[in-house]
Amino acid sequence: MELLPQALMDGIMLGAIYIIIAIGFSLVYGVMHVIDFAVGEWIMLGAFAGFYLTEWTHVEPMLLLPGVFVVFAAAGYLFQPLIHRVLSGHRGNPLLMGLVFTFGLGLMFRGLAQTFFGFYSHSIPSRFSNGSFFLQGGGFSTTVSSVRLAGLVYALAITGILHYLLKHTDFGLGVRALAQNRDAAGLMGVDNKRTSAFVYGIYVGISAMTGVLIGMILSLSAKMGPDFTIFAFFVVVLAGMGYLAGVPAAAFLLGIIQSFFLIYLDPGYTLLAVFAILYTILLVSPRGLFGKGV
Amino acid sequence: MNVLEARGVSASYGDTQVLREISFTVKKGLLVALLGANGAGKTTTLKSICGLVRPSAGTVRYDGRVISGLPVHKVAELGITLVPEGRQLFPKMTVEENLVAGSYLKKAKEKRKENLDRAYAVFPRLAERRTQMAETLSGGEQQMVAIGRGLMQSPDLIMFDEPSLGLSPLLVEEVFRVMRMLHEQGLTIFLVEQNVRQTLRIADYCYVMENGRIVQEGNGRDLESDPRVREAYLGF
Repeated sequence: MELLPQALMDGIMLGAIYIIIAIGFSLVYGVMHVIDFAVGEWIMLGAFAGFYLTEWTHVEPMLLLPGVFVVFAAAGYLFQPLIHRVLSGHRGNPLLMGLVFTFGLGLMFRGLAQTFFGFYSHSIPSRFSNGSFFLQGGGFSTTVSSVRLAGLVYALAITGILHYLLKHTDFGLGVRALAQNRDAAGLMGVDNKRTSAFVYGIYVGISAMTGVLIGMILSLSAKMGPDFTIFAFFVVVLAGMGYLAGVPAAAFLLGIIQSFFLIYLDPGYTLLAVFAILYTILLVSPRGLFGKGV
Repeated sequence: MNVLEARGVSASYGDTQVLREISFTVKKGLLVALLGANGAGKTTTLKSICGLVRPSAGTVRYDGRVISGLPVHKVAELGITLVPEGRQLFPKMTVEENLVAGSYLKKAKEKRKENLDRAYAVFPRLAERRTQMAETLSGGEQQMVAIGRGLMQSPDLIMFDEPSLGLSPLLVEEVFRVMRMLHEQGLTIFLVEQNVRQTLRIADYCYVMENGRIVQEGNGRDLESDPRVREAYLGF
């Protein structure tokens, strides 16, 4: 029983990280109709950017996050038109084209990273890594490392900012309009290419920042990407494709499943369990946990 | 003065040619109608004006400027609004969010408050349902949102694609009442309809389309007494 609160806390923190990965992934799917299988590689590249920047500058990695965001957001913004071209040519089945293209992109990034950054695992040293909090209440007690707590705060902040951006700004109105009816959004004057490029930029920036955070909390390596791609995909499908409001519940569920497996059972079976649960839920409710997906 | 002028516009979907060198003009302040049966090319005509379809030949001018080939959002910036067939609302937005989405562009944003009040004044029903999701509205209410959203754009030229389609007779009356009112306020209107009788009554000038061509034109009274139109569209 002593481990239960620990497992729950870890699960919540992992879940918080999955939320931000999955929200960006879901947003890109909603606006651009691209299932971005390179999401894990954007995370990996961000993690390496954080790792090398910390090594060179000795600045606290938490403080590097805004810089990493800006650089990667700009890269994503400039990169998006290429994806747009792949999808909007006269090729059949743009959804499949997007999937294949980003899958290939992910492979390429991974290969380049293994060539240039090597095969080793690293972690990003942070001042927060040493400290920890001792939480007690109701007969349970658990320790929470401060870096994980910082991760939770970061995830909540990003989710809050994205929520505000989408629900309370005209930019967000345009994004939602595009996701819900592309032609009608155009008639309202929403510039599809520009808005999509902004969305992709924001998503790449957030994914890269999250990569830095993962490098601080867990570890980073050139081949870390696919795990996170799979988890992002899991969360988005479980939440219901394109149903953003379902993402937090699905992400926390994944985080908690994963941490329970790590603590109580064999971590090697985590993926097996995760997919067994995904399939079971999709069998019962094909449009996600809440039945509100596409 | 001609606001909108199409000259020899053709358009195709793949190998199927839908528009065959059509020409028409819409003058400022007039209500001009485009009539025709299903599949005549009326919707494609509107789409090729607002940039959702790129004409394969010919030009569309607005205030003397060539607009054919511009992307859809650029045409919207010029003050051309389409109230599309089948409403095309944003289903997961509330009524009010749908209306506000109409004022996305800078010019319309400045008048957001004023236009919102106007939309609710024209359709008091929408004010009651402002927080309801668009997808849960009835067809008539959705059409009101679509028209209200169009008005939120502060258009100089507003185009309606079959606004009375699928509505009850009472709501058809309501939609025509609103269009007549907008016309009296001086708005330039281009109306595509299958409800020939009602349309002939409010239009200043009409074009009739068949198989992608404009086959007839004239003012409402002339067309109403034209034996071909009477036989084909009015049924007597």
